[in-house]
Amino acid sequence: MMSQLAERSRWPVQSLDDYGRDPHLVAALSPLVRLRWKVTVTGAERLPVDTAALLVCNSRRFSLSAVYAALALSDATSRTVRFVGRPDIAPLGSLMRRVGALLAHPADVLCALRDGELVLISAAGTADFRHAGEVPDELLEQAVIAEVPVLPVTTMSSLISRTARVAVGDAVPAEQVRQDLQRMLDSYGRS
Amino acid sequence: MQLVAGQNGGQRVLVSGMGSELGSLVAVKLEAEPWVGSLMGIDVDPPRRRLRRAEFHLLATASHDRIVELVTGFNPHVLLNISVWEPDARVGLSHARRFTAESAQAIIAAAADCRALEAIVMRSGLEVYGRGRGTPTRPDESAPLNPTSEFGKMLTHLEEQFNVFAMRNGIALGTLRLAPVLGKHVPSPLGRLLRQPVVPYSALADAPFAVVQDGDAADAFVAAAARRLREPANLVATGAITALQSAMRGRRIPFPLLGPGWGLAGRLSHVFGAPIPDHVVELLHRGRLGDGSRATELLGVAPTASTPEVIDHLYAWESIVRVGSIRPVVA
Repeated sequence: MMSQLAERSRWPVQSLDDYGRDPHLVAALSPLVRLRWKVTVTGAERLPVDTAALLVCNSRRFSLSAVYAALALSDATSRTVRFVGRPDIAPLGSLMRRVGALLAHPADVLCALRDGELVLISAAGTADFRHAGEVPDELLEQAVIAEVPVLPVTTMSSLISRTARVAVGDAVPAEQVRQDLQRMLDSYGRS
Repeated sequence: MQLVAGQNGGQRVLVSGMGSELGSLVAVKLEAEPWVGSLMGIDVDPPRRRLRRAEFHLLATASHDRIVELVTGFNPHVLLNISVWEPDARVGLSHARRFTAESAQAIIAAAADCRALEAIVMRSGLEVYGRGRGTPTRPDESAPLNPTSEFGKMLTHLEEQFNVFAMRNGIALGTLRLAPVLGKHVPSPLGRLLRQPVVPYSALADAPFAVVQDGDAADAFVAAAARRLREPANLVATGAITALQSAMRGRRIPFPLLGPGWGLAGRLSHVFGAPIPDHVVELLHRGRLGDGSRATELLGVAPTASTPEVIDHLYAWESIVRVGSIRPVVA
């Protein structure tokens, strides 16, 4: 009886997934996210349908690129895309965990990859969105350990406008991902 | 249950902690196993269930010599150590610490003289990983043991003692690191807290945790004994939940708390019969998740109830079970 009552009710009665992500909260926040970013996604078909992959995106400082990229790719693929960068302190860390963020801890990344999840990590933030920063090696090497593909993801957004762009590239060897990200970003300049 | 190669029926199995809710459930399941020849149990409390084949001995944990005499006389092939007292489950912290240590000491001393002993399966918990800053969200079995609660420290010490013993004597040691065990009649400080009319939760964190049902934990013990588990395995039900969500599912009144409020809430809760030990406070603030995928690989069994289902069962229990008249009906 109790469970039937609970099932009939709406958020926040529902539960979380194995990592503490709350799909109901994510759905509830979606309109707010769309209010801030209007994201165009290209290349989502390159993402594995049901296996793990490590996605590496460039990051412009203060742009929250990992957040909107993960949410946009989740929408485009109907799969949860977890992103790395949750601080381990409440309340921000708790809120970010509810929307799918992991700690920037190699064990967290490896655990999710071995579980068949899509995990997005960010290169170091830069002032110029056309420049790919350093990719954290300790997180990148988890893809090698878990034997999953690494895909570059470029993100472009403005601090003032809503328009944002997320593009997924082809899988590349882990050690080449930064060069490939840079090559993709450079190609935007020419187009 | 699948047996390991070369193993046959007629195995002698000893369950230390058979009187507990989990221990007696394990004993019931072991009685139904074809590979178990004889079954013996010891505990400070009588078994909570009717056991048909098991031989039970009611012994205080301080009865070191008597425990050693009984266990060596039985000479088990497999030893299951479920004698772990969770603080504020049945006894307070100091007694829990003392009983667990005394029991382990006696069992290890006895096991050293058991020539037939091939395997030990011991109960531990996710509390051994601790929840310090920067610890993995879902630790797997390879995560370092860094307990941050009294219960976690007790369990880590227990694991160390059994590890040293098993390595010295060449005995297979399987360690089941259980998520908080909930189930019908399981004395659990977390279960008691969640069933109160008003459930406190951390206003800032409301961290997610996972649990496991007692029946699933018992199945894992039986599988670990049958398969001669040789390594640690986390046992965690799928999914997660927070204290706020639990309260909402159970139609309880959720009560948000900030830092200093926890001290007062802890004392009040103690008065109402649900003390909140530090490992439960830690769970509510920092969460407690674990990667249980390895257990399925190693044991061939996976928890059947998800975390939300276990929580729903928790609230589905009647507070008072009316058993009716005990007088026989005269026609």
